Amino acid sequence: MKILVLVLGDLHIPHRSISMPGKFKKLLVPGKIQHILCTGNLCTKESFDYLKTLASDVHVVRGDFDENMNYPEQKVVTVGQFRIGLCHGHHVVPWGDIESLAVVQRQLDVDILISGHTHKFEAFEHENKFYINPGSATGAYNAIEQNVTPSFVLLDIQQSTVVAYVYQLLGEDVKVERIEYKKS
Amino acid sequence: MTPQEEQEKLLEEALGVVKVQSFQMKRCLDKGKLMDGLKHASNMLGELRTSMLSPKSYYELYMMISDELRHLELYLVDEFQKGRKVSDLYELVQYAGNIVPRLYLVVTVGVVYIKANELSRKDILKDLVEMCRGVQHPLRGLFLRNYLLQCTKNVLPDVVTEAASETDTGTVKDSIDFIQLNFSEMNKLWVRMQHQGHTREREKREQERRELRILVGTNLVRLSQLENMDVDTYKKNVLPCILEQVVSCKDAIAQEYLMECIIQVFPDEFHLQTLSSFLRACADLHPDVNVKNIIIALIDRLAQFAMKEEGSGIPNEIQLFDIFSQQIAQVIQNRPDMPPEDIVALQVALINLALKCYPDKHDYVDKVLETTEEIFNRLNLDHGPTPRTKNILESTSAVSRELMRLMKIPVDNYNNLLTILKLEHFGPLFEYFDYQARKMMSMYLISNALENMTTIPSQEEVDGILALVSPLVLDQSDQPEDEEDPEDFAEEQGLMGRFIHLLIADDPDQQYLVLNTARKHFGNGGNKRIRHTLPPIIFCAYRLAYRYKSLQDVDDKWEKKCQKIFQFCHQTITALTKAELVELPLRLFLQGAVAAGNIDFENHETVAYEFMSQGFSLYEDEISDSRAQLAAITLIIATIERMSCFGEENHEPLRTQCALAASKLLKKPDQCRGVGVCSHLFWSGKTQENNGEEMKDGKRVMECLKKGLRIANQCMDACVQVQLFVEVLNHYVYFYEKGNTQVTVQILNQLITKIRDDLPNLESNEETDQINKHFSNTIEHLRLQMESTEKDAPSYEGLEL
Amino acid sequence: MALSFFGFGQSAEVDIVLDGQDSRKTAEIKAEDGKKERHYLYYDGETVSGKVSITLKKPGTKLEHQGIKIEFIGQIELYYDRGNHHEFTSLVKELARPGELSQNSSYDFEFVQVEKPYESYTGANVRLRYLLRVTIVKRLSDLVKEKDIIVHTLSQYPDMNNSIKMEVGIEDCLHIEFEYNKSKYHLKDVIVGKIYFLLVRIKIKHMEIQIIKRETTGSGPNTFNENETIAKYEIMDGAPVRGESIPIRLFLSGYELTPSMKDINKKFSVRYFLNLVLVDEEERRYFKQQEITVFRRSDKHRKPIQNANMLKKHSPQQTPQAFLDASNAHHVNPYREADEQ
Repeated sequence: MKILVLVLGDLHIPHRSISMPGKFKKLLVPGKIQHILCTGNLCTKESFDYLKTLASDVHVVRGDFDENMNYPEQKVVTVGQFRIGLCHGHHVVPWGDIESLAVVQRQLDVDILISGHTHKFEAFEHENKFYINPGSATGAYNAIEQNVTPSFVLLDIQQSTVVAYVYQLLGEDVKVERIEYKKS
Repeated sequence: MTPQEEQEKLLEEALGVVKVQSFQMKRCLDKGKLMDGLKHASNMLGELRTSMLSPKSYYELYMMISDELRHLELYLVDEFQKGRKVSDLYELVQYAGNIVPRLYLVVTVGVVYIKANELSRKDILKDLVEMCRGVQHPLRGLFLRNYLLQCTKNVLPDVVTEAASETDTGTVKDSIDFIQLNFSEMNKLWVRMQHQGHTREREKREQERRELRILVGTNLVRLSQLENMDVDTYKKNVLPCILEQVVSCKDAIAQEYLMECIIQVFPDEFHLQTLSSFLRACADLHPDVNVKNIIIALIDRLAQFAMKEEGSGIPNEIQLFDIFSQQIAQVIQNRPDMPPEDIVALQVALINLALKCYPDKHDYVDKVLETTEEIFNRLNLDHGPTPRTKNILESTSAVSRELMRLMKIPVDNYNNLLTILKLEHFGPLFEYFDYQARKMMSMYLISNALENMTTIPSQEEVDGILALVSPLVLDQSDQPEDEEDPEDFAEEQGLMGRFIHLLIADDPDQQYLVLNTARKHFGNGGNKRIRHTLPPIIFCAYRLAYRYKSLQDVDDKWEKKCQKIFQFCHQTITALTKAELVELPLRLFLQGAVAAGNIDFENHETVAYEFMSQGFSLYEDEISDSRAQLAAITLIIATIERMSCFGEENHEPLRTQCALAASKLLKKPDQCRGVGVCSHLFWSGKTQENNGEEMKDGKRVMECLKKGLRIANQCMDACVQVQLFVEVLNHYVYFYEKGNTQVTVQILNQLITKIRDDLPNLESNEETDQINKHFSNTIEHLRLQMESTEKDAPSYEGLEL
Repeated sequence: MALSFFGFGQSAEVDIVLDGQDSRKTAEIKAEDGKKERHYLYYDGETVSGKVSITLKKPGTKLEHQGIKIEFIGQIELYYDRGNHHEFTSLVKELARPGELSQNSSYDFEFVQVEKPYESYTGANVRLRYLLRVTIVKRLSDLVKEKDIIVHTLSQYPDMNNSIKMEVGIEDCLHIEFEYNKSKYHLKDVIVGKIYFLLVRIKIKHMEIQIIKRETTGSGPNTFNENETIAKYEIMDGAPVRGESIPIRLFLSGYELTPSMKDINKKFSVRYFLNLVLVDEEERRYFKQQEITVFRRSDKHRKPIQNANMLKKHSPQQTPQAFLDASNAHHVNPYREADEQ
């Protein structure tokens, strides 16, 4: 069975950006995606409602600019054979540090750890675990990283294999990259 | 029996007679017995004399009979073609004593005569339409004349001039006369229906009349089908007659239907040439007629015509807009009782016309808005409480909805808020709306700008727009007392927050002014609004500072400007703190500190420090919730860890403060975790003295972790304690692998042993499971590291797993 | 057999053959019993001539007679006064002096340019006929043979033939103006007219036009009128409003009309009336009769369609004039409530 999981975050609407790029919105049609894992910083309920229109199962963790206290700091979601850990990452010091993220991975005991905050897409395998940072879906401003590229990730999960499709908006074009991870 | 059952029974009986008689008729015709055939035809037609049937039933009867009469007609045509002279048949059928059957037969035979070219076509047509006057009963007369119209459909002369040899075949003019007479007679009958019967059955009668209207309208359809009726004839002859008839009948139902009928059946080119007279007639219609709908129908039609690609468009010499504009004004003047919503609806149509036919002429649109404004002014004078106070339209009222529709049209058409801003009379109309309506319109404008990504490049335009949409910007004097739905409010303000990102000037200096202007407007929004609107301004400002940084080679004042921007941001964030916000301004300060740190303008360290210390103050003074404290201090530590602009002089107090704050957290587990996080500051923290390199103060790191361990030891909850041990173990492992020599295998072994000893004592539950997993994952990691053959893998010699 | 014994027996057959019989037109007329008879048609002043043939029944026998004569008779029979025939014309020709016929014989006769002043007519109470009568005068009973002919009187197209135009009404109730295109119509004519409604305050259901024939017989206190509705012709269905103009077109040739006859030999008259009848929703009838003259003229080609358009355009008079039978407060007006039919 094939499961599609949308991974995205750091929208920062309206603080830092006006909206999701139209090209992304066109790609994201309701009814195709089973789960959404959001790394946070939706900032408004409207953005959450938008995700709800795409899939009914939406998981959000709290970003540094989320005011919704109901979002947890971190969360574990099981999809198929995978345990997936989800956190925004602003509490992981230093931000984006692999070893620090690995600490979280070990704590959550997950196969895949998804984090955000850096507004920079990353997906890599480390000590047989898979790490994903979907970047900012709106390409929101970041004080550290200039020239943020809007991006999100779509996971295609089948048995013990995950294929991550990375969508990046480069200028006017959407570029898609494919990264595969197999659980050992 | 219900009336309906009665109708069904009567109809059934009548249809039964028709069946019998038509059967006999056809049998006689088959045998060539024409006279007998006619007799049966006449018997059959006798059924149409009834007064008992409702229009609907009568229609059914009529349809069946006219079908049967087709047989007779075909038979007669056939006989004529065979050369048989059925002489004087036209006279013969006129002996029928009853007028209704007689005239049906006369029409049937008359058409056969026309087809046989037996008598003058023109004379026969004239005779038929004249003789039908004998039936003055509305229902029977309407159907008889409809029969006449159906039968003559294909024999109406449609040539400009007769061929010399055929003097009596007639021309298109004869057809026009014929149809027009029939039309006016039918219309009279139709109108007369209204005045028959009891007054209490008025509604039923009106319903019946509406069912019959198509019969009358067919006349106009027939006129429109005359190919040789040119626009000139239409203008000089045909339309004036129709309008005369329509106006003089003084019947609302007829007028409304026929005027729309005219619009529908005649070609656009005709309408264009007769606009004035048509519209003048509109002004003369019965007060009950919905003139609005008629004019709108015409406008919509012509607007569509104007947009047709293949068409020639509106001819230049026809001032379409002016004509409509004047005539509509006339209509409004003639009808003092016209509801204001209808008046506005007319303006809606007019504005549509302007936009569709003259898309480039903004002044036409503005003219409509001006007229509308004048109308409201006048209405105020007439009905307002005092001449000076405006009569505010309630948002639920029809006129308010209509006015909103009017104003949305240019918005939707231009899809450019800046163009709307140029319409002089757009804004003033806002004043007639109540608070709700103004807000709805404002949101419509802003949403439109967002959808179309309309960027606003100047201060004046920002001023203009924000003044226009002021219900979204600040409190209004007529705002209702009760609290608004918080979700709706957040959504509305979110819209404004997004809109701020459209305030984009090409020039950075201009951009600064634009943001400043926006800041002034939004600053007046009150506590509940600024939390939504000021953060976007601040981020736009941070972005602008980066922009100046990138322009440092071309703008020698960039540093001063950056300084100014950060001052602006500082002020703006401070405004938020005054609105009793904490978390948000704290984060904004931290963001500002990072930005200032990264942009190395003169004084940037001081600015960054100021922002950082402001953040710290907020942390210390305003955050009391322990969970929030841990979250905040963690964020502060993480932020400082990331920064490299500080000299030791500034970095030292910051990191010391952090360590202190972490250790002063209320709960022991929080303290433990706080100092754990803080340890990073001493390892990967960067100062100017280190040239941005990590300071790697292993000793201080070790102190932090030891402190953490000590705090963990103080925890009463065994489960939490072990969990904290595992977390500290991970910190040790982290720094061990980073090369902190203060962390030794021995220390690791000790902690691992400790955890191993404690773990089995824990109650078996979910939490314990998690701790076990965490621990075993950590051990697994260490095992991997030990087994690693990679060169730079740390040596775990002596580690006891 | 008995008749034969008394000499009544038809010992001979008498036959009257008219000259030019094969080419002469015939016409129909109703007999007293109502059945239609067809006879040869003559006009006034035309010579009536022919041949009388007498055929003996039994060859070889002789027929003794006191003379043979032929008469041309025009007579009026009033049904209430049977046996008393009023002969307005009686001409006699002797065909043979008294003698004996021993073989079949024939005799020519001729009434030269005989005057036939009246039209043959069969009415309800009176009959006007022309006949030829051959009489073989005998001792006991005469042998008589009669042969009817039909006479049509032709009229010139009248010099004066004004239309009938009149405005009539009931005050504040109904005012109409009607117009018939002529006052004199020939038998194959068309009555064209129109009814113009000046005021309508009653709910009219329909309107018809009737042709009424009035046959007057007798004189003085014994005058007897017989009215017969020859035609009933609906010309309007439903209720018109003020200003409506309803056309009338009535072809006469389909009806059994005779020419109008006035004071025929002081014995009878036949007059025709057009009766306009309006019926309202309560079945009240309003009517107005107008006499028209019907005449016979020689056949011509029919004109094309005639209709009300050919009348002069309506010009309403200022005041409804000529409430012919004066307006009483009650409906004793030109439109009386019907007391007939």
